[in-house]
Amino acid sequence: MLDYIRETLELMQANLTRTILTLIGLVVGVAAIISIQVAAAGMAAAVSGAFRGINVNTFFIFPKSTQGSTQRANLGLSDLTLLEQNVPGIETAIPFGQTRTIVSAGHQHVMLKFGGESYRRFSTAPVVAGHAIARTDVENASPVCVLSSKAFARLFPHAVDPSTVLGQSVYVGPKRYVIVGVLGPATLSTASLGFDINNDVVIPYTTFYNDYQRGRPLFGIQVLGSRDATLATLEANAKRVLSQAHGGSIYQTFDFGFFTKQIDGFFGVVGTIVSAVGAISLLVAGIGIMNILFVSVSERTREIGIRRAIGASRATILIQFFVEAFVLAFSGSLVGMLAGLGIGELAQQLFIARISGTIAALPWTQAMLLATLFATVVTLVFGTLPALRAASVDPIEALRYE
Amino acid sequence: MNDIAIDLQRIVKTYKSGSIEVQALRGVTLRIERGEYVAIMGPSGSGKSTLMNVIGCLDRPTSGNYHLDGIDLSALDDRALAKIRLEKLGFIFQGFNLLPRTDAMKNVSLPLFYAKVSPRERRERARAALAEVGLADRGHHKPSELSGGQQQRVAIARALINNPAVLLADEPTGNLDSTTSEEILALFESLHRAGRTIVVVTHDEEVAERADRVVRLRDGLVLSDTPTARGHFSGGSIVPQEATPQS
Ligand SMILES: Nc1ncnc2c1ncn2[C@@H]1O[C@H](COP(=O)(O)OP(=O)(O)OP(=O)(O)O)[C@@H](O)[C@H]1O
Ligand SMILES: [Mg+2]
Repeated sequence: MLDYIRETLELMQANLTRTILTLIGLVVGVAAIISIQVAAAGMAAAVSGAFRGINVNTFFIFPKSTQGSTQRANLGLSDLTLLEQNVPGIETAIPFGQTRTIVSAGHQHVMLKFGGESYRRFSTAPVVAGHAIARTDVENASPVCVLSSKAFARLFPHAVDPSTVLGQSVYVGPKRYVIVGVLGPATLSTASLGFDINNDVVIPYTTFYNDYQRGRPLFGIQVLGSRDATLATLEANAKRVLSQAHGGSIYQTFDFGFFTKQIDGFFGVVGTIVSAVGAISLLVAGIGIMNILFVSVSERTREIGIRRAIGASRATILIQFFVEAFVLAFSGSLVGMLAGLGIGELAQQLFIARISGTIAALPWTQAMLLATLFATVVTLVFGTLPALRAASVDPIEALRYE
Repeated sequence: MNDIAIDLQRIVKTYKSGSIEVQALRGVTLRIERGEYVAIMGPSGSGKSTLMNVIGCLDRPTSGNYHLDGIDLSALDDRALAKIRLEKLGFIFQGFNLLPRTDAMKNVSLPLFYAKVSPRERRERARAALAEVGLADRGHHKPSELSGGQQQRVAIARALINNPAVLLADEPTGNLDSTTSEEILALFESLHRAGRTIVVVTHDEEVAERADRVVRLRDGLVLSDTPTARGHFSGGSIVPQEATPQS
């Protein structure tokens, strides 16, 4: 068996250009299928990474954009209480919004995301120093803030112990916020799936409203449901309550399930296209391999005759050509697999990591299995006819002409 | 153990190409004993190669019986016939028929590969076989790097490596000049002295003279079957028999 493999490799080397041309299709097909799988797996990991950073029972509610920004549909602060009081299962509702701004502490000036938070927390990051935004902070719209680990590290690059910064202040322009808490680094930075609500610096949402949103209708509302509430029910009830209060205006909600579905849908479509391309190139590749095997059989008719005369049975010749087909197909699949993993990894580094900060581990075992599977299928489907032809070579015919 | 190596009874071989039937062999009866050195002669188209193919189990007779080393071959399937070729027969061809991209060692050890001998033993035995035909230092040469005589000696080493009961050679010197032919014939003779059964097809009377016995074919039948001078002198157990051609 090893001899057959070695021999095939030598043959492939001897006809390098032909081999490469034959195997390109297989490489492309396998690479396409494997890379899309890696990317999809990476995206799935990114989405679950996003879930980890934020409370899952969160949704957003916005006036439906198609009705135009009619005055009636506009959301206001009163709607927050309306939702909290009239929809059972809603723990808290705050204005949706964040701002990217220069935040200063001492001599450090860094660009950070700045947003509102409630005393019932949307973030799941652990508090490592001080405390989270307190109820009184919200009620009094106090000028206090809680730093994420990232904000802490960037604003206080020399501080080791986060508790040493408690009581110090950060500035946004002339506005001053006293640091009351620091969050831990355990959380993954949240995916920017359209709305990034895991802010680097959070202040009471009432403070945020006063300082950055006052006088304007709310862009949207961010809702935290209780642990045991069903999001779908909450969303339906919230929409109904708001609609009644706003004279029949229509509202729409988004939650992470929605985003996940969007992403799944996207990868479904892309995946189908890529798989189709992969399948076609595999077909082309298979035919190419069949062709090269037929050529190989007719070029080596005499050799087959010699082998048969020496004592190889038909079955042995059949096996030899199957091995040859498999070595050919497998080497193509292997290169395709490596290329696919490479492309997938690149896609993760370039796109997915930017969003989620995470990279899914490359599915080596799975890819290896897939490559082997492809090679086997291609061998069986496209190697059988050439192998049968090789086995049916008549040794006398093959040896006759000199 | 049987003393008859090859026992052919009324072997007929008919080729059909389209509607035309060609009777290549029309009832050949031939016995070759163990240790004999037999030359088969005859004009072109008389059926020599066909007979060799039947003897070599590459082709099945249309009718007739064939026992090789006491085994009835008519009942055997492809796999079993391959095993017979592997274990009982060694082939030498006019065109050498070595695998072109493969070095002498690998060519010689190929039958051992099919016999599922371990790589290590294959290497050792191939080296020994090459040494026996005087090519110990040519193991890693490809056929294209060897002279015709050397190639034929590699082929002989390959034919001998499984220690076959019968050595079959179809015009082994046909492609060689007289000096190299002489080398090959000397090699055959030493093999014969060592007790090997050899069947050689040839056009060359001088080659045939080196054997013990000459079988002449004509139109698919045995025309004559006579010991050579050498065969007479060696005083072997060969009983000359005049063939009686049936019409
Ligand atoms: N496969 C085949 N199909 C049809 N006819 C064949 C086939 N093989 C051999 N023959 C015919 O059988 C006859 C014997 O052929 P064979 O090759 O045995 O002759 P030969 O004695 O070896 O001749 P040469 O000395 O030229 O090699 C010839 O008439 C040949 O044309
Ligand atoms: Mg012939």
